[in-house]
Amino acid sequence: MVRRAVIIGTSAIPVGKYQTRPEEQDQVVEHELLARLVVDAMADAHADKRDVASIIVAQPRPYTRQQYFSTFMASYLKLPCTGIVMEVLGNGLTAALALDKAIDEVLLGRANVALAMGINMETAVSARDHMMESMRKTGDVDFHTSAGFTPISWYAIDMMRYMHEHGVSRADIASVAVKNRAHAVLNPLAQFRKPITLEEVLAQRPIVEPLGLFEVPPRSDGAACVVVASEEYARSVGVPYILIRSRAFYHEGAHQIADTPTDMIALDAARRASRQAYDEAGIVPADIDLAELYAPCTIVEVMASEAAGLVPRGHGAHAAKAGETSLGGRIPIATSGGLTSRGHPSYATPLYNVIELADQLRGRAGKRQVEGAEIALLMNELGNYNAAMVHILERQG
Amino acid sequence: MLQIIPIDRPLAYPPRVTAFTRRFWEGLALGAFRSTRCDACGHLTFPPKPICPNCWHEKVLWEDVDADGTLYSWTRIHAGPAVFEAELPYAVGVVDLRAGIRVACRLWPDACQDWICAMPVRMVALTTPNGVLFGATPI
Repeated sequence: MVRRAVIIGTSAIPVGKYQTRPEEQDQVVEHELLARLVVDAMADAHADKRDVASIIVAQPRPYTRQQYFSTFMASYLKLPCTGIVMEVLGNGLTAALALDKAIDEVLLGRANVALAMGINMETAVSARDHMMESMRKTGDVDFHTSAGFTPISWYAIDMMRYMHEHGVSRADIASVAVKNRAHAVLNPLAQFRKPITLEEVLAQRPIVEPLGLFEVPPRSDGAACVVVASEEYARSVGVPYILIRSRAFYHEGAHQIADTPTDMIALDAARRASRQAYDEAGIVPADIDLAELYAPCTIVEVMASEAAGLVPRGHGAHAAKAGETSLGGRIPIATSGGLTSRGHPSYATPLYNVIELADQLRGRAGKRQVEGAEIALLMNELGNYNAAMVHILERQG
Repeated sequence: MLQIIPIDRPLAYPPRVTAFTRRFWEGLALGAFRSTRCDACGHLTFPPKPICPNCWHEKVLWEDVDADGTLYSWTRIHAGPAVFEAELPYAVGVVDLRAGIRVACRLWPDACQDWICAMPVRMVALTTPNGVLFGATPI
């Protein structure tokens, strides 16, 4: 029988502000927060500590004082490992890589139980100082960053082009922020839970035109742990589990922009990776019951939902406005509240996306439960969707 | 030749110049927009590279590139890194040059409010007390 990887346990803290300033008396340290989540996730999984063989940790932000964090966590949790202990890093994909490598560990037979975890602490660092570091992560640090590009400026450039090509207004695209806030209202893990109106979204100060404050991600702290296991192990424990039915990855060989003109808003990596994942799962986009997309800005959800084939090209904003991608709609997207409202602790965000889908597929999403959810799309990315990583998740048992 | 626009303000985050890219930056300061073309497959790339990214051939030839193109898209940045704070807001864009390369750069002049996707633009050299930067301006 082919070895299959499944998700059997999850845990996360509500996205918010946890990082302390140096002058505060009681300091918050990452390992204390994360250790508790590991224990909680393992309890959720009904798994035995002795069965954990691999730990994959999303590399924390540079502000985390404790370095070599994965091996430190192995010590803090007293977890000898026969598989691997490692940290992964890959811009927005960072925590998705943690999940993906944990799946590798299980599929390679190195682990019956592998932990994927991450903690992102950054809110005590001002945006202006944080951007001194983040601006070096997108584009060419000499040929682009010298002009003042910031990470989300590339998404704003996508949006101007999208509006130009498709004749869609900022207000249409901003409906994504309103829709996702309505979802976040129902999510105890979300950072922003007060409903907002389209007028309020459009009235916010500009950040990167045409995007205003509520159309871009907030600054957030967060931490999460996901327990990945072999299907055999899950069956032996007797817990309901989520099957990783297929996965795919594509990097277009460009960092923000190619050296020659390309269609920047087609998100070719998302299109290719999602198609491959659908093919390997033997499904079509219409089989997807809900999706969590790594979409830091409203426009990114629009483009990514189109690239994944969930809505027709050029119709992503209209679909959101018409309620097609809302809870109760044809294809609910970002029932968690998405990155603008659930919050965006970047190096942990993909694990929060996994947790939302796992909760939905296990039927424990409470008031935001998608009725009868069986198959879900998880898509994460790095850069300007220069790379996309897709996992198809399926409810079992 | 590019229009050379002197600016009083020093560059907030000056590019590093290598022995290889010096030819680009020094040319830019004199009003030339240069990049490298592969001697084997003929691929023109930007930024200039000592190997061809297409076929990995190791002989590339410098050439002056036609500085006219169109603005693929743009944004105006209102929240920026600490070093760029004094320049906020400022516009940046992606420019497709007629020669077949894509460039991302500052849009000039700062005060211009009328950036539109697909408008014709031309590269310019923005010279400052501590270095030179390439930008694009409406034709």
